[in-house]
Amino acid sequence: MTDEQGTSGAILVVGGGISGLTAALEAAEVGNDVFLVEKNPCFGGRVAQLNQYFPKLCPPSCGLEINFKRVKANRKIRTYTMTTVKAVTGGPGNYDVTLEIAPRYVNSNCTACGDCADACPDIIANEFNFGMDSCKAAYLPHEMAYPRRYVINKAALSVAGAEAVKAACKYNAVDLDMKTESVKIHVASIIWATGWVPYDAAKIDNLKFNESESIITNMMMERMAAPNGPTQGKIARPGDNKPIESIAFVQCAGSRDENHLEYCSHICCMATFKQMTYVREQYPDAKIYVFYIDLRTPGKYEKFREARMADKNAVFIKGKVAQVTPEADGSVTLVAENAVTGDKISQKVDMAVLATGMQPSLSIQGAPVALNLDSSGFVISDSEKAMFAAGCAKKAADVVTTTQSSTAAALKAIQVSRR
Amino acid sequence: MNVQPDLEFIKYLKDAGGDTLKKCYQCATCSVICPLSKDGKPFPRKEMIWSQWGLKDNLVTDPDIFLCHQCGDCSAYCPRGAKPGEVLGAIRAYAYTFYGWPAGLAKLASSAKNLPILIGIPAVIIFVMWLLSGAMHIPTKEHFASHGYQQFFGSWDFRWYAKNIFFIVLFMVPAAGLAVLSTYMGVRKLWRAMSEKAEINPAFRPSVMQFVSDFLWPSLVEIVKHTRFKECTVNVDRVKGHLPLMLAFIGLFIVTCWSLLKNDVLGLFWPSLHGPLPLYDPFKIMANVSAVALLYGAYVLWTNRSRMESEGLSGRNFYNWFLIWEVMAVGATGLGAEILRWLGIPSIGYIVYFMHLVSVMMLFMYMPYTKFAHIVYRTTAMAFERYRESPFAVK
Repeated sequence: MTDEQGTSGAILVVGGGISGLTAALEAAEVGNDVFLVEKNPCFGGRVAQLNQYFPKLCPPSCGLEINFKRVKANRKIRTYTMTTVKAVTGGPGNYDVTLEIAPRYVNSNCTACGDCADACPDIIANEFNFGMDSCKAAYLPHEMAYPRRYVINKAALSVAGAEAVKAACKYNAVDLDMKTESVKIHVASIIWATGWVPYDAAKIDNLKFNESESIITNMMMERMAAPNGPTQGKIARPGDNKPIESIAFVQCAGSRDENHLEYCSHICCMATFKQMTYVREQYPDAKIYVFYIDLRTPGKYEKFREARMADKNAVFIKGKVAQVTPEADGSVTLVAENAVTGDKISQKVDMAVLATGMQPSLSIQGAPVALNLDSSGFVISDSEKAMFAAGCAKKAADVVTTTQSSTAAALKAIQVSRR
Repeated sequence: MNVQPDLEFIKYLKDAGGDTLKKCYQCATCSVICPLSKDGKPFPRKEMIWSQWGLKDNLVTDPDIFLCHQCGDCSAYCPRGAKPGEVLGAIRAYAYTFYGWPAGLAKLASSAKNLPILIGIPAVIIFVMWLLSGAMHIPTKEHFASHGYQQFFGSWDFRWYAKNIFFIVLFMVPAAGLAVLSTYMGVRKLWRAMSEKAEINPAFRPSVMQFVSDFLWPSLVEIVKHTRFKECTVNVDRVKGHLPLMLAFIGLFIVTCWSLLKNDVLGLFWPSLHGPLPLYDPFKIMANVSAVALLYGAYVLWTNRSRMESEGLSGRNFYNWFLIWEVMAVGATGLGAEILRWLGIPSIGYIVYFMHLVSVMMLFMYMPYTKFAHIVYRTTAMAFERYRESPFAVK
């Protein structure tokens, strides 16, 4: 492989969630140069949106904070936020990559004092909370955002808003004339840690996601239960804030279904068990119904399931919910056939949680280069081309599995750099 | 429970259009999505697992397999492509053979490779009748214009019973009689099996009048109105074909009865009533409208099925196509013979008329064993469904 001589040895990691952070750190901490690229304004990805995560049910601040600290301390890692990969040319060992940096409209003078947000009159839906609340058009994505710098949604900014935001900043950090920038980098290999998006529940037409506020997704539940979420951690029915007397979890909402995601999303059963705990902590007597096809507890989680199934007020029904009726009083009625008894069941509950699955981001936004994707849009690693998949870009997985695959991808990338 | 899977039965279902049945993983989406499945014990999830396990006895005694109208809603929402609608169709195909009497004829009518025999039997019988009748010649144009096909089997002077009618009755009545007998045997066996399976005490039986008024008549009303069929969503277009087809059959039945009465009873006293009906006669209008409706209905179902097969929503099998071909053949040869009479071409007209007789006889003969059997078996199941929920059904 003589054509690989003169490699820069640098590694590009696309995606700055738990997988990308892990892969970048593993490679940088043994001495490789790493470019870490994230399309959102801050790092942390989906894990940052969780209330607690497996295996120890830690809050995300726990795992992410130490990773951010390592990134900050490591001079080998160059970070880019609001950045996407536009083009890749060359070959393994010698890739020329064009990055495009979207304007943040806030420069590095920002101290995250928050004066701009206070002054800003314009309100937008809070994307971090899946639109369950709103925030200012000049905002910090979330409490522990790294880099800790505000971002401005210029499209949502009124003329008065622009004036107010500029006037409020004491540090001359607001720059509304910022343009899209292009950067060229030279790398030996690329790790795709592009992660996942929650499957669009509106596509599952018989579950009526958009027809009642009482129907939420499991990721919305995470935000709702999170202390920094839209309800400060209080689980209540959206719309009328009714305390929960009964709640249903609808498993396989779009997963294991060839009309939606044909694969098992791996995490939704465990996520439901975890969220049963959130509900139980706040409502000791609430009725919990779980409608499932099979309960899957990958790895060592069998005991976790047993503990949840021992709950006297939890009912597990083997049967997929196939019909949902929003009721006039704000509750919802779910219909399923109990495949064990053969009886058709109609269950009215205060609130329903759709356990939607993981869809690989690249299956929606498309890959910027000719990547080897499987039929569902997951990346297949290609050692010959020095393109490696990590985390949920590779397969639907929990955080533990994700970090393991990221370490593996980092090792493969390091091998390319030292060929 | 000791489960004895019938492997041959599973194989039969797979060949008859149920090749996807093993894909089912029992999520039960189908039972909830199905617009026809009632609360209580819904279908078709349980039928899917019985099929996978080869539990034939559970299936053939299950009224739900006949209550299914193959809307296809279940198949559309099925997360695994197991196509429960197609599987239930295959189970019905099996059930018609299972309840068919005599068994040999039922088996014969269940396979495409027997098609030459299926067509051959009536073709030979009718051709032999034609030879025996001694009428074996093509008429002149003048004779054809005045008598049409009414002397296909010749004529004689015995005015109380026309020769043509004599010969037609000679093969059509036994064919129809066999169908009626076979249907009766099959329905009786089915009813007993369903009652036994539902553990209904046979001591409290309704009278014939009660049976008709409480169970059969409401079912027939529902069938004619297509009430259930219209509840289908994914494949509701089939109603546009099935409804005209059903009405056409009713119309043609009325016309046939009138024709019989007019020619063979009233014709005895008023000989002028013999001969083809004029085009403006109300019954002739009804006959022609029915023929067109029949062909239109069959055409809609034909294109619908072709489309479903090309889109991979349905498999291609003899069971489903035989009835469409059969109805198409009856309609096309019937209308074709009439048009040829107007055109005054006796030679081709007689051949087409011969084919018409063959196809009508096939319709009678194979009715109890092919998809056409649904008219009695589904009606029976719908009546049973009402019976099952009535006070008569004491356990």
